[in-house]
Amino acid sequence: MSVVVRAAWRLGAAAVRGRAGRPLSQAATSGGEAEGGGGSGSREAVERLVREHPVVVFMKGSPEQPLCGFSNAVVQILRLHGVEDYRAHDVLQDPDLRQGIKNYSNWPTIPQVYLNGEFVGGCDILLQMHQNGDLVEELKKLGIRSALLDAEKDQDKK
Amino acid sequence: GAMAEGPLARTIRAKLAAALQPTHLEVLDESSRHGGPPGAESHFGVVVVSGRFEGLPPLQRHRLVHAALSAELAGPLHALAIVARTPQQWESDPSVPPRPPCLGGSKQ
Repeated sequence: MSVVVRAAWRLGAAAVRGRAGRPLSQAATSGGEAEGGGGSGSREAVERLVREHPVVVFMKGSPEQPLCGFSNAVVQILRLHGVEDYRAHDVLQDPDLRQGIKNYSNWPTIPQVYLNGEFVGGCDILLQMHQNGDLVEELKKLGIRSALLDAEKDQDKK
Repeated sequence: GAMAEGPLARTIRAKLAAALQPTHLEVLDESSRHGGPPGAESHFGVVVVSGRFEGLPPLQRHRLVHAALSAELAGPLHALAIVARTPQQWESDPSVPPRPPCLGGSKQ
């Protein structure tokens, strides 16, 4: 389990380094543009991000240090299901992305959860999906086995 | 709480009532749970019970709520927690999930 956690941390760190390493010309886009040639908030850039991985989260802070209760709730729910390998993007580090992701999904708030490139909802909806079993099913469709299934199995054995 | 409803709370209530004709509606200023002073009116939680939600998945229900409050969400309303149920769902479960605790981080 610690190997998985370390791997997830490396992925998280890589995401941050990737953004920090962008050329200045790309970084200096004006805020609030819905379209735009290649800025981090453009439709094309966001599309690339949501398709990068089966589970992509746009949040405030990072999984290691969430900066908002709602973003933390998303991280905790994923953790409950044993999902530690996912892409997390800290919108506080990137105002263009922060606006761009809202334009892309036509959803006004952060956090935002994408499964298989498709917008699923925010923290409220993820919590509902967790409580009614839908999240286990959606993860299964992505080839991810929820840790909760193994927890139930262990309990049955006892 | 004992506090009177602020202007944004009243606006939210009026717009949700007009858009969704709810049978039950709660509008709660939760700004103080996110580091703001009481009555800051930046973070709200709403409980909306409406027949308009019938047959709609949660995502679409939330979008209806957002649409009613699009001007506020583009302005002073920074965060909105939503419970959206049909009257039947509310009757069988009138409980509201506990809110995630504030982590006291960025005020943005």
